Amino acid sequence: MSLCKFAYHGPETLDEVLALLAEHGPAARVMAGGTDLVVKMSRGQVAPAVVIGLKRVPGLGDLRFDPVHGLELGCMTRVSDVLEHPAVAAHYPALAEAAQATATVQIRNMATIAGNLCNASPCADNAPTLIARGASVELRSPRGSRTLPLAELFRGPGQTVLAPDELLLCITVPPPRAATGFAYLSLSQRSAVDVSAVGVAAGLTLADGRVAEARIVLGAVAPTPFVATAAADALRGQRPADEAFPAAGDAPAEACSPLGDVRASAGYRRKMVAVLVRRALERATARALADGRARTARPAEVTP
Amino acid sequence: MTSRPIGKDVPRVDGWAKATGAALYTDDLSLPGMLHGALLRSPVPHARIAHLDTRRAAALPGVKAVVVGSDLPAVKYGNWRLVPTTQDELALARGRVRFVGDEVAAVAAVDRDTAEEALALIRVEYEPLPAVFDLDAAMAAGAPVLHEATPDNVSVTRKIAFGDLEAGFGASDYVREDTFTVQAVSHAYLEPCATLAQADDLGRITLWTSTQTPYIVQCLLASTLGLRENEVRVVKPAVGGGFGGKMELRPWDVCAAFIARRTGKPVKFALSREEELATGRRRHPMRLRSRVGFKRDGTLMAKDLQVLLEGGAYNSMGPTATFLVGNFGAMLYRYPAYRYAGAHVYTNHAPAGAMRGFGAPQALFATETQMNMAAEALGIDPIELRLKNAMRPGDEIPDVATVGTCGFAECLERVAEMSGWREKRRRGPGTGGGKGLGIGCYSFITGGVFNWFNTPYPFSAAEVRAYADGTVHLLTMASDIGQGSDTVLQQILAEELGIRMQDVQMTAGDTAMTPKGDLGTWGSRVTLMAGNAVLEAARQVKEELARMVSLRFDLNVVQEVELKDGMVRSKFRPDRGIPFAEAVAMAQKANRGKPVVGRGTYTPRDMGLVTPTFSFGAQVAEVDVDRETGVTRVTKVYTAHDCGTVLNPMAVDGQVHGCIQMGMGYALSEELVMRDGKTVNASFLDYKMPGALDMPECEAVCVETHDPRGPFGAKETGEGPISATAPAIADAVWHASGYRATGLPITAEKLLAALDGDDSIAGERRAEASCAIPDPRPRG
Ligand SMILES: Cc1cc2nc3c(=O)[nH]c(=O)nc-3n(C[C@H](O)[C@H](O)[C@H](O)COP(=O)(O)OP(=O)(O)OC[C@H]3O[C@@H](n4cnc5c(N)ncnc54)[C@H](O)[C@@H]3O)c2cc1C
Repeated sequence: MSLCKFAYHGPETLDEVLALLAEHGPAARVMAGGTDLVVKMSRGQVAPAVVIGLKRVPGLGDLRFDPVHGLELGCMTRVSDVLEHPAVAAHYPALAEAAQATATVQIRNMATIAGNLCNASPCADNAPTLIARGASVELRSPRGSRTLPLAELFRGPGQTVLAPDELLLCITVPPPRAATGFAYLSLSQRSAVDVSAVGVAAGLTLADGRVAEARIVLGAVAPTPFVATAAADALRGQRPADEAFPAAGDAPAEACSPLGDVRASAGYRRKMVAVLVRRALERATARALADGRARTARPAEVTP
Repeated sequence: MTSRPIGKDVPRVDGWAKATGAALYTDDLSLPGMLHGALLRSPVPHARIAHLDTRRAAALPGVKAVVVGSDLPAVKYGNWRLVPTTQDELALARGRVRFVGDEVAAVAAVDRDTAEEALALIRVEYEPLPAVFDLDAAMAAGAPVLHEATPDNVSVTRKIAFGDLEAGFGASDYVREDTFTVQAVSHAYLEPCATLAQADDLGRITLWTSTQTPYIVQCLLASTLGLRENEVRVVKPAVGGGFGGKMELRPWDVCAAFIARRTGKPVKFALSREEELATGRRRHPMRLRSRVGFKRDGTLMAKDLQVLLEGGAYNSMGPTATFLVGNFGAMLYRYPAYRYAGAHVYTNHAPAGAMRGFGAPQALFATETQMNMAAEALGIDPIELRLKNAMRPGDEIPDVATVGTCGFAECLERVAEMSGWREKRRRGPGTGGGKGLGIGCYSFITGGVFNWFNTPYPFSAAEVRAYADGTVHLLTMASDIGQGSDTVLQQILAEELGIRMQDVQMTAGDTAMTPKGDLGTWGSRVTLMAGNAVLEAARQVKEELARMVSLRFDLNVVQEVELKDGMVRSKFRPDRGIPFAEAVAMAQKANRGKPVVGRGTYTPRDMGLVTPTFSFGAQVAEVDVDRETGVTRVTKVYTAHDCGTVLNPMAVDGQVHGCIQMGMGYALSEELVMRDGKTVNASFLDYKMPGALDMPECEAVCVETHDPRGPFGAKETGEGPISATAPAIADAVWHASGYRATGLPITAEKLLAALDGDDSIAGERRAEASCAIPDPRPRG
């Protein structure tokens, strides 16, 4: 397997990165951990003439948390940084679950969350939870900066709305809320080091013991992460019973559009959506209920 | 380090180099002026090559050679040298391709990129021929013929029969007949094949190649190039696994050597993982139909086994597989009457070859699953049913093999105890909240006595050179491909000479430098065969040194001399002795400088048709089946095995773990998925081999026997256990869920479909599929 010929740049400031992007445009690719990019280059799926490495730019890997602004992941934040950070474990356990579901220790030590998103694989493990959690992304180019809800980043398999000169600068996740729980579950044939045949993020906020708001986002069953809005809205007002929401997965299973391939048939993927949505909601409910306010008080503001 | 290494956890002699990356594999080697090769492979499953134009490729700057089939001598090769009609392969196609991946042309260039660029410039016009992709299509009347000499596509048939089958079934109270299917899986050795050839000024070849069988490669390469055997020197560098997939001459060996001779430059070929998975050897997919009869009390009365092996486009090791699957079908239990008929069928798929367990994983998946089904029907506990029928020491398969030592019954008892079988298995199927446990057993050969390669040399040989500085040098062609045989052979030598591991150096797997011969690494033969050769060589050295000490101390002739703790001394009067080094110096001086050398060989004679001795074992797997997703997790595997005397417990454990990993993949997730002759999942992303994180907890005990035919009593352990794992897991899945798999792999999707009553996805409609072998059609 041979790599295409390319020029490598290792800029040391953000401005240099942006200048290089402006100069080379579509001929250039930025490289974060390289765990997708290099694989694609060696398979001849992409052949950039210029590769711009981000690792020497200070500060891009910062992970910041405060209870008011929430979580901010710089574009060089590694998957392992997320997995190991105490604030993530405490306030965003579903993000840690998604990070844990991503690849192996060695890959996680290289791979970035931003790379996982920009690569835009339908089965990217970190997208569904971040979308469910209401994350937004800041895109930066020499022309300026714009901020989008994460769900709007994706256009199709391997395709994003990033312009050729744009960099995904950082990901912002809103602060944790009261009486709220999220969970991520994925299914693949091996217990690790495997692409997910189905990935499900689900979350809900309870008030007075009832669902005030719910989110369901699916991975690997549509060209882009699939936000099951109707199914989630239908949960509003429901009270989780012993077996929380036994049929909650049926509607998203209907609504998504999985493909059949060598990993799983479309029918199996659909069935698994139903199972995993239910299980993820169960886990999310347990997390929400762990907060005493879920049963009694009106939870804090409910909009993302 | 101790001077009594046998029976100890001696670490791998090559472990440090491999763990640090210092070990040199073939692709790490590089010679001045070396060219890089690449192979053009057929994109179609079956076609006539109407036109082949290499001019543009040859004209590309940097390209030094382009070779096609007509450039090479038209000498077919294959491991079954004993029966030349089975030798059906050419390194590069001549006028016809028979599978997707069949090698069509080879290019050598100044670098790999240029070679690959040149491949793209070769124009080939294929005239498609009808292709066959499964047993039924290949054996149908009027099916397309792959090889004209084999008009019915059945290239090999084998039979085994003993006892009165009719009487056996007649006297049976319970007879059942089942059909089992098993899939193609890859060896998935971590080091893809690679080869490096260098020619000298007379055109003689040195070939460094990733092989299990340097001697076989040497002989067959010589024959394809028109050289004499010893004009080819094959050297085996460090090898990253083979599992049976590297025991033949391969096209890249021939192309590298041919181009090296033509250009005068060294040439290297190194395969990619994708090439390996898409076109490499694989374990034979099979369809097995087994009829078995029991008395009401569980006594086995008769078994009738018919097996069709899907061989792919060439014979490879198929003839041996066709025999062995029948042999393994007769193992483990006492069958008063047994009949086996097997046929090896050509299809337009990449050829199957030898793979770990060779014939046993397929045969024993059928045997063991059927035993479990029969136990259920007869209302007898599966372990009790096995104990009632278990082979015992001294049992025979008439005219085929004799069982020497056999700890099978004790293995069954031990594994039942370890796993808490009798308690846990009392629950009915599907009642354990998704948990279940199941059993599978194995027996395997410790080396093959068959001589399909028709070697005129000993099966194994060793030379031991003892030096006056206290070191010894062991030379043997035996090939460590990662299984640890270099370590075990050095242990055997150090033990016998009473010296330390670090006193031993070793040269191995080099056909010019190590004594002839060695058939290579396959059939779990190295420890027994090369081990015995090492012992014999060591004993000659020992005898020589004992003579010196007897002389020096004027020992009474009845006194035994022992070599221990670096000393050569009277066993009775340990003060009468001298250091090993001194004894060697004395012997040399006494022989006017002649070096102290021992030479040993091993060739099995009068040991039936199969092996000097068999290993045995029983395994229990525990699983957790998720009823909603169909996912099976193996949570624990218990193994009780009889590998004779354990020479290195850590090495044995490693083999058992490796077998469990491979057996688990076979059971649950691994399969080369083929569509229209193409491998759909030719990458580790989609070829689902279990990884370290998938491994269950493994608990193993050795039921030690002392086999007089093995060095220090040892038998095999590297292959046997793999055959127990899949049936044990399949039985556990039944116990956990109520679903009885007769086909592999039991993927989550298949299991869920079966539990939901959807047979079409589970592919369980094969009950009517025939395993009958058609009458042979006249041969051309
Ligand atoms: C063995 C293996 C196992 C894997 N397992 C999983 C798994 O289980 N789950 C999973 O989801 N993924 C998996 N992956 C895929 C991969 O590791 C992840 O997608 C990873 O997060 C990518 O991050 P990276 O930093 O390596 O991205 P890179 O390869 O550096 O970049 C990926 C793409 O994004 C672009 N890009 C990167 N950063 C930016 C930015 N800041 N702005 C704009 N564009 C950018 C690059 O140009 C490139 O096109 C696996 C990969 C391998 C090799």
